[in-house]
Amino acid sequence: MNRSQRHLSRLANRRGPIHDLERIFDAVTEEAALNPAEREAFCRWALSSLLDNFKTHLMDRRIEIEKQIKAMGINVPNGTVNKDYHASFLLPEGLVSDVRVDGVEDLGLSLTTDGYDEYYLSGRPVKAGDFTLTLSFQTLAGAPRSSLKIPVAFNPDPRSLWRNIPTDPNIPYFKEDSATDYIRVEAGKDEAPRKDMVAASQRGRSHAREGKPRDDHFALDHCYESGWYIMAVADGAGSAKYSRKGSEVACNAAVAHCKSMLTDNPEFEKAIADYAADKEDAGKRTELTRMVIDIIYKGAVKAHEAVKKVAAANEEAKLRDFATTLMFAIAKKYDFGWFIASFWVGDGAICLFDMNSHTVKLLGTPDEGEFSGQTRFLTMPEIFHDKDVVSKRLKMTIVPDFTALFLMTDGVSDPMFETEKNLNDYDKWLHLWNKLNTGFPGDNIPGVDLSDDNEQSKNQLLRWLDFWSAGNHDDRTIAILY
Amino acid sequence: MTRRLPVYLLIDTSGSMRGEPLESVKVGLEAMISSLRRDPFALESVSLSIITFDKEAKQIIPLTPLDRFKLPEITTPDSGPTHTGAALRLLCELVDTEVVTSTPDRKGDWRPLLFIMTDGKPSDLLLYKEMVKKIHKKKFAAIIACAAGMKAQTDPLKLLTDQVYSLDTLDSTTFKSFFKWISDSIGVGNRSLGASEDILLPPPPPEVNVII
Repeated sequence: MNRSQRHLSRLANRRGPIHDLERIFDAVTEEAALNPAEREAFCRWALSSLLDNFKTHLMDRRIEIEKQIKAMGINVPNGTVNKDYHASFLLPEGLVSDVRVDGVEDLGLSLTTDGYDEYYLSGRPVKAGDFTLTLSFQTLAGAPRSSLKIPVAFNPDPRSLWRNIPTDPNIPYFKEDSATDYIRVEAGKDEAPRKDMVAASQRGRSHAREGKPRDDHFALDHCYESGWYIMAVADGAGSAKYSRKGSEVACNAAVAHCKSMLTDNPEFEKAIADYAADKEDAGKRTELTRMVIDIIYKGAVKAHEAVKKVAAANEEAKLRDFATTLMFAIAKKYDFGWFIASFWVGDGAICLFDMNSHTVKLLGTPDEGEFSGQTRFLTMPEIFHDKDVVSKRLKMTIVPDFTALFLMTDGVSDPMFETEKNLNDYDKWLHLWNKLNTGFPGDNIPGVDLSDDNEQSKNQLLRWLDFWSAGNHDDRTIAILY
Repeated sequence: MTRRLPVYLLIDTSGSMRGEPLESVKVGLEAMISSLRRDPFALESVSLSIITFDKEAKQIIPLTPLDRFKLPEITTPDSGPTHTGAALRLLCELVDTEVVTSTPDRKGDWRPLLFIMTDGKPSDLLLYKEMVKKIHKKKFAAIIACAAGMKAQTDPLKLLTDQVYSLDTLDSTTFKSFFKWISDSIGVGNRSLGASEDILLPPPPPEVNVII
């Protein structure tokens, strides 16, 4: 047996598809009488056409898988800078491998998988903006990598976007961006501590970021001779260009009128005492009401007129440019308890809060419309044309004692109470009281020490007004008699 | 829940918007959204919805908080009528169901804003006129209408609002500056919400013509 015969015999004895192929190839090329060069050319031609076919097949298959993945509509939610982000998506199991998202580490994220078909994109975004993530993966061995664009937006942390631009002191009716006051009423001869008043008003972030002035205002006064406490809080309308002046004038006029009526008013004192002695007596009640109207209702009318006068003095402005809400209250302690009377037009809250009796008494109803931000203003003449103005807006009451009398603008009451119903809920007021004490430790805002004669509480209260509440960045003003 | 500032965008997607105009609108919308995201107040309160109208009116994205908002695909048919009236009818229904009003137990949303952009005229004029009356009862804080391109008619839009503006061209520069202005206007809407009267818009950019 020569070498070639031995080779053929060896081949014939082997088994398996390759050897079958080789045998068939030899048979075919021998039958066609191809010389070695032709055999080689044929070989190359046959394999390269197969390879082309194979490549086409690979591409088809890859495109098919890519289409399938595209049809799955991979979509990841938006995130927020510095907040935990977690997104998941599916890729068909077994069809893809080596999945990557390019540059994802630079965004503060990483890609993981459950090892089957689910992939997780998680971490804490470090950059804000609109990004296009490139998801790439291998479909078949030998095929080029496939990729897919996925848009995602990372929102900035809203707190990082606020700026605090001081108000230009040259604007008309300039007002400081914040204000505080504390009225300390020291113990009398009986050495029993007396209630004090504290108030703070802070320009809202929405104004601060544009260098716009604070529209809120408050005024406190105490008649040392007669023992009356007087407090007023007003919220100038955000849309009215000179409302900062409106709120200021309204508070000051109401307080000034009350003070003039309360410094020395024996008739009023007698009417209160008579009424307290017999609350069922309709005559005494009417008499007292008449006097309260003279003080409180007239105070509101005076406030309205004072704003009107300032508006009239300004040629380029109308009354509505000074639009403001107003709430004010007078309070005095007697042997039989506290007498309190108040007037309220607009939103916000004015409330008597008492922890001993677990009660809250809202001194009126906030004027709120169908939508947020709609309210009524002291500057609307129709307020005083309403025949129910006295019964609706004027309140008087006698209580044995109370923990605090609160007056606040909606910048405080909206985030703290949200709804009108909550304003009548004792627990919500207790929560506010506790929040005043504890502050907001998570946001580094300390509490307010509302102990007797603590003048520092006015600064603490101002700092406290900086609390964070999403979507609530209006001016904030609060006055407390406690 | 935080009260929202609902913003409705009504976009004409009739056949004539096909191609460059619609692509330009998309570029403009994207720029508007990323500009709004840089406004902390908008970021916490704006919710956006897009309604497209051609031969049919569709809400392609329901009222969605800005931070979660992703611009969806916007498509347009080859040709066909512009059913602006149908879009307003859909809007009325959506405002009734999506926008929250105040009750003692619940804080209402801010008054919604409406922006409408069209490059033609309503094909359903009767329905349109009927719906304009309904829209006026919906207490939008502001309605801003934009007539885009030379073929857009401003007269029907003037029935809807006195804030009508026109764009001479439908390219992406024009739309970008238009939507930038819209986002500034939304910002203003956001800040002057105490108002019961209409909001005061910032001056429009030069590409936007005021129609009196």
